[in-house]
Amino acid sequence: MQVIENLKVKEKLYTEKLENGLTVMIIPKKGMKKKYIIWGTNYGSNESSFIVPGETEVTTVPDGVAHFLEHKMFEQENGRNSLDVLTEIGVNANAYTTNDHTAYLYECTEHFYEALDEFMDYVQHPYFTDENVEKEKGIIGQEIMMYDDYPDWKVYLNALQAMYHKFPVRLDIVGTIETISKIDKDILYKCYNTFYNPSNMAMVICGDFEPDNILQEIKKRLIDIKANGEIKRIYPEEPEGIVKEKITQNMEVSRPLYTIGIKDKPLDTCEGNGKEELVKKHIAIEILLHLLFGESSDLYKQLYDKGIISGSPNMEYEFSRGYAHILISGQSNQPEEVYKAFREQLKKMKENGIDEAQFNRIRKTLYGDYIKEYNDVTDIARMFLADYFKGINSFDYIEQIMTVNTEYAQQVLKEVFNENMMVLSVVSM
Amino acid sequence: MNYQVKEIKKGINMHLINNNKFKTNLISIFLTTELNRENVTKNAIIPAILRRGSKTMPTQEKISIELEEMYGASFNCGIDKRGDNQVLKFYMESINNNFLPEGENDLLQQTMGKLLEIVFNPLVEENGFHEEYVAQEKNNIKQLIEGKIDNKARYAIDRCTEEMYKGHQFSLYKYGYVEDLENIDKNELYQYYQELLKTCKIDIFVSGIIEDNIYDIVCQSNEIQQLESREPKYIKTSLEVIPQNHEQIVQESMDVTQGKLILGLNISLEDEDMQYDALIYNGILGGSANSKLFQNVREKASLAYVASSSYLKAKNNIFINCGIEIENYEKALQIVKQQLDQMKQGEFTENDVEIAKKVMIDAIQTIDDEQDTEIMYFFGQEFCENKLDIEQYIKRIEKVTKEAVLKIAQKVEIDTIYFLKN
Repeated sequence: MQVIENLKVKEKLYTEKLENGLTVMIIPKKGMKKKYIIWGTNYGSNESSFIVPGETEVTTVPDGVAHFLEHKMFEQENGRNSLDVLTEIGVNANAYTTNDHTAYLYECTEHFYEALDEFMDYVQHPYFTDENVEKEKGIIGQEIMMYDDYPDWKVYLNALQAMYHKFPVRLDIVGTIETISKIDKDILYKCYNTFYNPSNMAMVICGDFEPDNILQEIKKRLIDIKANGEIKRIYPEEPEGIVKEKITQNMEVSRPLYTIGIKDKPLDTCEGNGKEELVKKHIAIEILLHLLFGESSDLYKQLYDKGIISGSPNMEYEFSRGYAHILISGQSNQPEEVYKAFREQLKKMKENGIDEAQFNRIRKTLYGDYIKEYNDVTDIARMFLADYFKGINSFDYIEQIMTVNTEYAQQVLKEVFNENMMVLSVVSM
Repeated sequence: MNYQVKEIKKGINMHLINNNKFKTNLISIFLTTELNRENVTKNAIIPAILRRGSKTMPTQEKISIELEEMYGASFNCGIDKRGDNQVLKFYMESINNNFLPEGENDLLQQTMGKLLEIVFNPLVEENGFHEEYVAQEKNNIKQLIEGKIDNKARYAIDRCTEEMYKGHQFSLYKYGYVEDLENIDKNELYQYYQELLKTCKIDIFVSGIIEDNIYDIVCQSNEIQQLESREPKYIKTSLEVIPQNHEQIVQESMDVTQGKLILGLNISLEDEDMQYDALIYNGILGGSANSKLFQNVREKASLAYVASSSYLKAKNNIFINCGIEIENYEKALQIVKQQLDQMKQGEFTENDVEIAKKVMIDAIQTIDDEQDTEIMYFFGQEFCENKLDIEQYIKRIEKVTKEAVLKIAQKVEIDTIYFLKN
């Protein structure tokens, strides 16, 4: 196993790529009672067109298959549902689907290995029937309707639809009632066999473990499957510009919700950039967002004093294969004013440059934030998995942060915070 | 034992939780006072004003800058309803010594100093709070109160609670009422704040790598020295069953896609100890993927994505929560009622009890893996007659039997059926 130690946060990562292509990452946490394991496939809602290794034809499936698969994986041939079995063992199991990956997990204090038998068995043995697939449509239908009542989900999704013409990140992860109605067991098997190959998967374990032991236990439970070749993922070609600057939806909310989006070029389309660049860019964007709209910023003070905002907005940079964007979200009676003021502040910062002292202070803050991410075994495991599928080792953020300077940030400010790529999504009465 | 309570003055306690497995130290200050119609809105607005500025850090900007310099120490505050009490909560978290770059001073004392100042030493002008802050925060609280409708699932549970407890203090909304805001002025509010500090229960929690002297530092601080000992005005958990609505049905309409079905249940317990049996009852009914509600409403009937129940220990109520197609109301309600009847008839197995216990114990064992969770656990014990530590808690859950759960089932009654539809 390869061991990577981070001296700043004082944690170690043990990692190995097994013969069948599966990557296993172990982050031991002495003294923690909670044990956490997460097994993910590099396959999310964005992958609805692909070429199966060994084939030449393109396969296209309905939107929402990755999430549907996640629901159906628990079903077993013996008529049991693995979620029930795991609960009976006394562990807390779950699963989730994102735009770029799907993950299965459980956490517990005791009975870890007993649960591991069931866990690794069900992820490696799908069992889909016409009947169990049909039944799930009712449940997922209710999940879709539940999201329909979340204004914060709608304002987010609308921002993506204002930014992206074609790229599937603009679609709901769960699909629609219409698209899921077309899903059948053959589609599920095809996607499973393509994307749930060990070479397309990674596993992260966090808790009080001895790395060699746990690795052996995992190897013992793997079924014999060879690594398959490369899956060719096909995404629609996304035009550079945005779809439209403004998008509004009416819902019964007390006060408008807004999301400001800034569409960015994904790094894999920028020439010659490695993953080191990805991390540095991400850090720089986080610092810039703090400087522009954090709680100590002029903009925050100005809008707060006028009663336009009443708290700090959520700000993040989302990126993965084929897409990248900044999102700033909050609630305000005057979303247009927030948008206008943000654009003005941005212009000012571009003209006046970045204040060195402020920059250093925010960088310190971010350093502390990165350290805090290592308190909880769940957070650690999820972070390493999500970053892994982006080609990143999570430690790199702590390692790189001090190398990000004002000069570099200035350049990112110019390139990424492009006024022509900005959108405003609003949900209001 | 790594948990210790030290009395600072009567009614003011310091709780020390020593733990070196975290990257951070977390400090919390809780001010607890009886929930009542007269003061609920004032209590809700106070944290919002305090976070705007203190004596030496008079603006929010200044507070933010100081915290940023402390490697992103974070401040947070909020309002909670705990039984018939209202709790004003304040938190500050900073990274501990082991993770500061070399040459930096320990942050714990500094963090404690800042938090004490924000809570107990506000910016005061002419015997009142800063006028502008009061005006702005009145407006913000107004928005917060009106924001109640934004999360429909949460809203449905709040509404069900209000209908159950109509006319009783527990029906009060934790952020208060818009009509009260008009009459709040900076001087009167400041007077009320001073009065609150004289009478409320004060708990200061510190979790992390704690230096021995932190207790003395807190005791000797100006902020704490100003405070007097008190007979704190707060309410311990009572077993009395207040709602008497006998299956009242409340239906309301809103712009929703999915119907939210909430059932509020009463449990009449004879003694506090039975609460642990009630926890397991709830586990079997709707606490996990194996529960009756999840299995029957979701997996078998395919009617819902969310079908669960939660036990509110502070009031001995269970809330059943299902998100369903609006036209399936009757069907879903019937299945839910069936599950309650089955529990009453003893139609659950020893194995169901064992599974619910395992799930519960697993959750208890991880309480001290998260600083905030551990703090909230010990804070919750403050409202019980018999305080249990985590070991005792586990032992008590291990003792729950099928007979005990069946006994709980006999004491469960539907009080209110609330349905939010379009």
